[in-house]
Amino acid sequence: MAKNITFIVTKDCQLACKYCYLVGKNSKERMPWEVAKQAIDYILDHESDMREASVVWDFIGGEPFLEIDLIDQICDYLKTEMFRRNHHWFNSYRFSFSTNGINYHTDKVQRFIAKNHEHLSIGITIDGTERKHDLNRIYKGDGRGSYADVARNIPLWLEQFPHAGTKVTISSEDIPYIKESVLHLYSLGIHEVNINCVFENVWKPGDDRLFEEQLTQLADAIIDGGYYRDYACSFFSEHLGKPLDCVTQNQNWCGAGKMLAVDAEGNFYPCTRFAQYSLREKKAWIIGNIRDGIDKNKLRPFLLLDRCTQSPRKCIDCEVAEGCAWCQGENYDAADTPTIYQRATAICLMHKARVRANNYYWNKLFRKLELEDAREPYEENKPKPNPLNC
Amino acid sequence: MVKKKVGQVAMDEKDEIQMLFERRNGLNELAKILTADNAALYEKLVKDMGETQAKFQGWWDRMAAKYQWESQEGGNWEINFDTCDIYLVLP
Amino acid sequence: MIQYLVILLDDTSVSFCHYGNAKKERRLMPLETLEAGILFGMKENLNIQFVYPAYALPEAYNKAVERVAHVKIKPAAMPDNADVVVMDGWEECESWTAGAGVSCVLRLPKAEWFGHAGRAAALLEKAERLNVVLTDVETFTEDDFKAYEASLQELAGSLAAAYASGKTPQLNLLTDRMMLDKMNNCGAGDTNITLAPDGKFYVCPAFYQAEGGYAIGSLAGGLDIKNAQLYRLDHAPLCRHCDAYQCRRCVWLNRKTTCEANTPGHEQCVVAHLERNASRQLLLEVRKQGTFLPDKEEIREINYLDPFEIRKEW
Repeated sequence: MAKNITFIVTKDCQLACKYCYLVGKNSKERMPWEVAKQAIDYILDHESDMREASVVWDFIGGEPFLEIDLIDQICDYLKTEMFRRNHHWFNSYRFSFSTNGINYHTDKVQRFIAKNHEHLSIGITIDGTERKHDLNRIYKGDGRGSYADVARNIPLWLEQFPHAGTKVTISSEDIPYIKESVLHLYSLGIHEVNINCVFENVWKPGDDRLFEEQLTQLADAIIDGGYYRDYACSFFSEHLGKPLDCVTQNQNWCGAGKMLAVDAEGNFYPCTRFAQYSLREKKAWIIGNIRDGIDKNKLRPFLLLDRCTQSPRKCIDCEVAEGCAWCQGENYDAADTPTIYQRATAICLMHKARVRANNYYWNKLFRKLELEDAREPYEENKPKPNPLNC
Repeated sequence: MVKKKVGQVAMDEKDEIQMLFERRNGLNELAKILTADNAALYEKLVKDMGETQAKFQGWWDRMAAKYQWESQEGGNWEINFDTCDIYLVLP
Repeated sequence: MIQYLVILLDDTSVSFCHYGNAKKERRLMPLETLEAGILFGMKENLNIQFVYPAYALPEAYNKAVERVAHVKIKPAAMPDNADVVVMDGWEECESWTAGAGVSCVLRLPKAEWFGHAGRAAALLEKAERLNVVLTDVETFTEDDFKAYEASLQELAGSLAAAYASGKTPQLNLLTDRMMLDKMNNCGAGDTNITLAPDGKFYVCPAFYQAEGGYAIGSLAGGLDIKNAQLYRLDHAPLCRHCDAYQCRRCVWLNRKTTCEANTPGHEQCVVAHLERNASRQLLLEVRKQGTFLPDKEEIREINYLDPFEIRKEW
């Protein structure tokens, strides 16, 4: 189990993606070095409160690589301090980035990558085909699509990180392009496509049927094209669509509260989604700051969350509950009262559609493998995706 | 390059070498930014690099003696941290 | 299921619980609101508790109140005909002359409690029941926990002696847990709600009289408790497994300390467990002297003070 610690280094981004949940992006709130340093000192000073064997130092924005100088300084300080203090995380740490990829090729970013390559996990977000990507991922200001500027960096990225995966987000308008987009990403050499529907209430009547149709077509393409041997798409999972028990399968989906995020003001959050720039309706859920430390009482509700206590009856009784995800931040933002204990269910019909397509996928694939007497080799060598929860 | 599975180690043995592997990587990347100006830390780093490398080699020596893996001139062993499998890699 | 309706007759109605009343200006509940509130309570079959301010009400209010069976909660300054009298600090308490069947609520900060707990034993000589309410539980430190534990032990000794002499004084901190075999908490938002002078319903008086509260409906629009399940024990992930049955499980303190109505803060849990453990010792002590509450099981020994520390981790 790794501790995930996120630095919100900037709230600025070159893009203005239409589905972006960050409603409060701006170019003013950049993390000063002194804040970053104090946050690191606080965290490393409290080793006994954070006993996880590993740590993922996560950098998020906005677009994190806009602040590459700061990030470089932070990472150098982290490495030095973890070593100097004999902190147990020196034996197991990663620096993780979710980037729009636009600045990936720049000298500064490349120097940083060369310096820290063995400890880096970098995900470039590319949503699929040019028309799908540019539907949402547009530059702020002139509104032009960003596909070309991202796609040119994909070969360099895959050369440096051959096993890297990408994260694709599906909103209502994207549904018709799912199949072509996943296949396009495969054609670019990306073997792992982590894809999920947004948790926000954006879905229109009929979207679930369209979604199911797209996934069914995608299933056919993956199986008929033989992609299932080397490529993964997180929409299809063997662990999906069964009922769940409230006693033995009661774990929370989301890691909020076990993670830690810090922003430019030096405030701590249970996850970045609880910072004000991520919230439409609710106040930020601040659990402390770099000066006064973390108020452990503010974390207790998160660490006590289980699936059934926060779920409505329809979810508890759902016959296909397994794999239905939620985001604690969106739950909080969408709740009728300021609580994290009211699960948002906007994704319900989309999940059920996914389950139907997923059932089709595995029934078709396993039958094919049986007929070809290829089930055993498949099981031994099947790609192991690393699913992202949010 | 040819890869051939020649054995497997126990989980706790895998954990030991994985920790040393991670530490070695950490020390190597720290070495890129640490200079002799910071004498105390630099000395600590150099000492740790030596010790970690010795432990690292010691692990392979111990395991090779324990499991008697197949070897070949010009080849080297590799471990898969996910499966604990040991491979003989030939150029 | 809602069983009780607390009616705050004025903005300055006395606080009888952990919160301090931030409202200092008088604002009497309009008579028609009071009458509508009483009617609501009668139609919903609720037991009504009127909470009084420290000044005399117009006669029409007294008449309205008497139209229904009720409990009067009054400040020490106006104790006539009260069922529950609220004292702020030792002085008010010690100068009070108790009437038969009257309960006493003693509100005070920890600093006034530590080192003075023996005075509570003296009060139990004249009050049939004493409810001690600490007004700053959320500020307890490790040293405070130790001081609180010592005060409970001291009081338990006095109570054991009283029981030995045939008396049966009731002190919420120590005797309630001995009598209980399931949770008996405040019940705000679950078994009771509050009607404020503005004609709106609240989870409890604190949600109107202290900062950061919110309404849960109105007389005009009806009761509308959003996420009502979060006030119930079965939706409190820590408390539903807990056996500090006497704990207030104060949802206002919960919200103040953890931001969630269903999650207590560390301090509330530890305080409740110190009381639980002292009750256990008291029960063992009293039973040494003869049969006592034979239908009640022993309170088992536990090795934690905050159940959060032994929570099930997924």
